[in-house]
Amino acid sequence: MASIAAVPVRSPSFLPLCFLFLIWNFSHSLTKLRNFRNGLQFWPELGLDCTCKYSNGRVTYRKFVVKAMESDVDSGLRNDAVVIKSSEKDYAERQQKLHQNIVAKLHESVGSLPVFAFPIGKLSGMNFTIGLCIVATMLVVVVKGYAAKGSSDRRPGSVADLVRRGQLRSDRRGISTPLKYEDPFNNPMVKVSKSNSTVEMCGKVYRLAPVTLTDELQTVHQKRRSRAYQWKRPTVFLKEGDPIPSDVDPDTVRWIPANHPFATTASDIDEGLAQTNVYQKHGVPFRIQAEHEALQRKLEALQNDQKLGKLVIDPASARDFERPLKSHMKSENQVEHNISTPKSGSSASPSDHPSGNKPLPEELQNP
Amino acid sequence: MISIHTIIKPSTLQFRPKRPSRKPPKTLAPIHALLQYNRKPQLAGDTPRVVVITSGKGGVGKTTTTANIGISLARLGFSAVAIDADVGLRNLDLLLGLENRVNYTVVEVLNGDCRLDQALVRDKQWSNFELLCISKPRSKLPLGFGGKALIWLVDALKNREEGPPDFILIDCPAGIDAGFITAITPANEAVLVTTPDITSLRDADRVTGLLECDGIRDIKMIVNRVRTDMIKGEDMMSVLDVQEMLGLPLLGVIPEDTEVIRSTNRGYPLVLNKPPALAGLAFEQAAWRLVEQDSMKAVMMEEEPKKRGFFSFFGG
Repeated sequence: MASIAAVPVRSPSFLPLCFLFLIWNFSHSLTKLRNFRNGLQFWPELGLDCTCKYSNGRVTYRKFVVKAMESDVDSGLRNDAVVIKSSEKDYAERQQKLHQNIVAKLHESVGSLPVFAFPIGKLSGMNFTIGLCIVATMLVVVVKGYAAKGSSDRRPGSVADLVRRGQLRSDRRGISTPLKYEDPFNNPMVKVSKSNSTVEMCGKVYRLAPVTLTDELQTVHQKRRSRAYQWKRPTVFLKEGDPIPSDVDPDTVRWIPANHPFATTASDIDEGLAQTNVYQKHGVPFRIQAEHEALQRKLEALQNDQKLGKLVIDPASARDFERPLKSHMKSENQVEHNISTPKSGSSASPSDHPSGNKPLPEELQNP
Repeated sequence: MISIHTIIKPSTLQFRPKRPSRKPPKTLAPIHALLQYNRKPQLAGDTPRVVVITSGKGGVGKTTTTANIGISLARLGFSAVAIDADVGLRNLDLLLGLENRVNYTVVEVLNGDCRLDQALVRDKQWSNFELLCISKPRSKLPLGFGGKALIWLVDALKNREEGPPDFILIDCPAGIDAGFITAITPANEAVLVTTPDITSLRDADRVTGLLECDGIRDIKMIVNRVRTDMIKGEDMMSVLDVQEMLGLPLLGVIPEDTEVIRSTNRGYPLVLNKPPALAGLAFEQAAWRLVEQDSMKAVMMEEEPKKRGFFSFFGG
C-alpha cells in the first residue's frame, strides 16, 4: 500500500498500471523461483559453500565443501549433499543451475530496486485489488475534473475565446457564465434548507423570524409619543435678550445664543429676491447681473469724467470769471448798472464784464 | 443580520413557520420571500417623494445611508437628488467622492451668485443622481429662513425643465436643533436610522415624536450596525426588540461591516463594491423597499451551525 501511495499519479496514463502489472508478474515468477531456490538454500544452512561458475557453457567443476555440524549424526549424514562432478551426462542439471544463477542475479537486481518495488512484490492478490481500486478512483476524479471544465473551453475558436481575450464582456452575454456577484440572490454559497426556514450563508446558519409588529401596536406607540412629546414648529427666532412680541406664541419662539458659530437671526437677504433666485432657470444669476450692471455704470461714469477732463479752457475768458479787488467796487457797480440794462446781444469786451457778477459756465462750476 | 426578503429561484416561496406561536396575531400576513433581482421595483406614491433621513443621535449612519440608498436608487433607474442639509458640517460629498466638484451651494443660489442647476453636482457614473449642498463650512444662514429655502428648492426641483426627480433625499443633521427643523420642513416621509443600543433608541423615539408632531406620519426604521454574534450571545438587543421598543416598520437591517470605513475612505459608496459587501446588499434591499413603500416581514436570527455528517465532504 505504501508503495502505491508513494507513486505519484499525475496524469491519467496507464503507464503506472502497466508497470505495476509487470512487477506483479515478475514477483509472482520470483515467488515460484524462490520456492525452487529454497530447496537449494538448505545447502548453505548446512554449512555448504557452493561456488558456481559458468562461462559460456563450459563444463565447470563444482565443489561443495562439507563442514561438520553439531547435530544428530544420522540425520546429518542423511542430509549430506552429494558432491557431484559434472559431466556430459547431466547437462540438464547444468542448465537448471544456469537458470538458477540467472534467477539469483535477477533477484539481486530486484532487491536493488527502490523501496516501493519490494512491497508490490510482497502484495498478495487482495491487497493489489484494493490498490487497483484506489488508482481507478483517482483516475475517475481526474477525468471528472476535465469534464467539469466544459467542452467549450477545449473547443478552439469558440466564443469563450473571445470572452477570454476581452473582446466580449462576459456579463453582458446570455450564453457565457454569468458573474456570480451580479446576481447576489442566487449565490451558490447561500443554501436554503427545504425542511425548515433556515439559510446557510457565509458559514453561519440563520433562521427566519417573522416580524410581530401589528397596526394596533403601531397606533399604541403613536399615542404614547403624542402624549410624551408636545412640540410646535418654531416660527420666530430671537436672540438672547430680545423681547417676545405680544402676538407670538411663546412655544413657537426659538432662542439662539449670541455666540452660535453658524447661526444668525439677521436676515440680510430679501426673501422675495431669494425666492426669485431659486426659481430662476435661465440667464445670468441676479447678483452677477447686478454686479455686472454696476460695473458697467461705473465704467461709463469714468469715461464721462475723462471727457470732461479733456475739454480746453480759453484763458482770455477765464479772466472774466476772476474775482475783482475791492478798490474796483465802484466800477463794478457801474458795470452792474450797465448789465442790468437790456443787453444788445453782442459779446461785450472782457474789460466791460466783471468776473464776479456773470454766472460761471457749468464746466467751471463743477470741478 | 441580513434580511432575506429574496431567497432563491424566480418563483414565489412562502415561508410558513411549522410551529405557529401560541397566540398567533390575526392580522399577520404569511411571510413572502420573493426573488426581486429580475425586475425593476415599481415606484409607489406621488413623485417626487421627499424623504428625510434622520436619527437624532449622531454617528449612527445617516450620511452613509443617504449616500448608499441614493446610489442604489440611481442604479435601479430612478432619478434622485440628495441634499446635504447640515448647514455647518458637510459630509455627504465626501462619501460620494464629489468633494472637489462642489463649487456652489444653496447659499449662493439664494444670494443670486448662481442658478439652482449650477449648484447641482451630477455624478459622472450615474447621471441620474445629483448632489446639492446647503452651505459651505463657516458660512451663516439665517435661522428660520432655511426651512423656507428648502421648500423653495423642492418646489423648483419639481418644476425644472428635465422633469421632477423621483426621489429627493434630505440628509438631516444630528440633534433636534434648527438644522433638524430645517431639514424636515419639506419632507413627506422619513427614514429613521438607529443602532441597537439604548441611547440611540431613546433619541430615535424622541425624534419620531417630533416628526409625528410636525405632520410626518410615514416613518420607517433602518437598524444599522447589527452584530448577529452579539445578538446570539444576548449582548445586543435583537432587531425585533428594537422594533418592539419603537413600534416602527422595518425598512432594512444593516450588518456591521468593515467595508463601510473603507468605502468612506475611498469616496466610493458601498453598494458599488464588486463583489458586493453584506452591508451593501442590505442597503440595496432597503432601497428596493423604499421604492415600493414596503417593509420587512421577517428578519434573520443567527443560530448554531448544524453539525456536519460524515458524507458532508461529498457535498451532502
